[in-house]
Amino acid sequence: MSVKPVIIGLTAAVAIGLSFGVSAADTSSWNKGAHSGETDEAMHLEPDLENGMDVYEVCSACHMPEGWGFTDGTFPQLAGQHRPVLIKQLADIRALNRDNPTMYPFALPESIGDAQALADVTAYIEKLPMNPENGKGEWAEGTPEFEQGKKLYADNCVRCHGEHGEGDVEKFYPRIEGQHYNYMLRQFEWIRDGKRRNANPDMVEQIKNFTDKDMKMVINYISRVPVNPKDLAPSADWKNPDFD
Amino acid sequence: MRKIVTLAVAVTAAASLMTGVTASAADGAALYKAKTCWSCHGKDAKTPLMPFYPSLAGQNADYMYNQMVDIKSGARSNGQTAAMKGVMGLVNEEEMRALADWLATLN
Repeated sequence: MSVKPVIIGLTAAVAIGLSFGVSAADTSSWNKGAHSGETDEAMHLEPDLENGMDVYEVCSACHMPEGWGFTDGTFPQLAGQHRPVLIKQLADIRALNRDNPTMYPFALPESIGDAQALADVTAYIEKLPMNPENGKGEWAEGTPEFEQGKKLYADNCVRCHGEHGEGDVEKFYPRIEGQHYNYMLRQFEWIRDGKRRNANPDMVEQIKNFTDKDMKMVINYISRVPVNPKDLAPSADWKNPDFD
Repeated sequence: MRKIVTLAVAVTAAASLMTGVTASAADGAALYKAKTCWSCHGKDAKTPLMPFYPSLAGQNADYMYNQMVDIKSGARSNGQTAAMKGVMGLVNEEEMRALADWLATLN
């Protein structure tokens, strides 16, 4: 083994440790990450879908060939997510602006490639049809908790995430409709509690007084908002033909 | 006579052992992929993603089972366990057992 892989290995080992240990709520990196550096670079590159598919093979081992993740929320659904959101999160994870010890080594240039690879793989992911049966919260429409979640959404979330959770492509705001309940719950909690360091400070401020119950109700609501059928796969049994 | 009995016991034991191995081997192999273990530990369980992630093929079954249980519960939280903790919600103890038993049979 030459010296270089050892150094990369050691650096990565330390980074994986760090990416778990650091929890300071430094949100100043939001703008930096959103408007400069690798995110900016990848946003301006012409994506190559064919290469994007090749790069995605690495991702598919956890996010599944369909890009649907797991309905239990262990891994999020990526299919249909806005490309700028995917680019920013990938760039943030590998720049250690977002702690994700499980994903960190996969996001490294040695694993998936440079800024061009980010441009390519995100173009591929964005076009994948979404899971028609995402993981949902426990409260069906008509229950008091569902209605309260709907109200919380209208009062706190709609301005940025949109009427039905469609997000905002231009502003790097994620699409949250159709996402798995448990995944959103975990991220919401980490954003509220300062554990997700690349959180938008406006959101941190907006949700700081949410109780755990409020959080569950609002996420339950958005997990149950129907996604436009044109963005969904024909059935939950659909398999991505690119990875037969 | 004693020899025959011993032989019969040995054959029975071997047969039941083989059946046991076959059943859990099938489960273990399927689980290894379905529960995303292979993403980090490698398709052959001995080509890990990072050089400091463990090779699992042929490792002691009980050792691996105990590590999985402890990482899931948080009893073990040092080293690279942060990378693995996040996926442990995908497996229960029965599945960990099948995974460990199958991985131990690999070369």
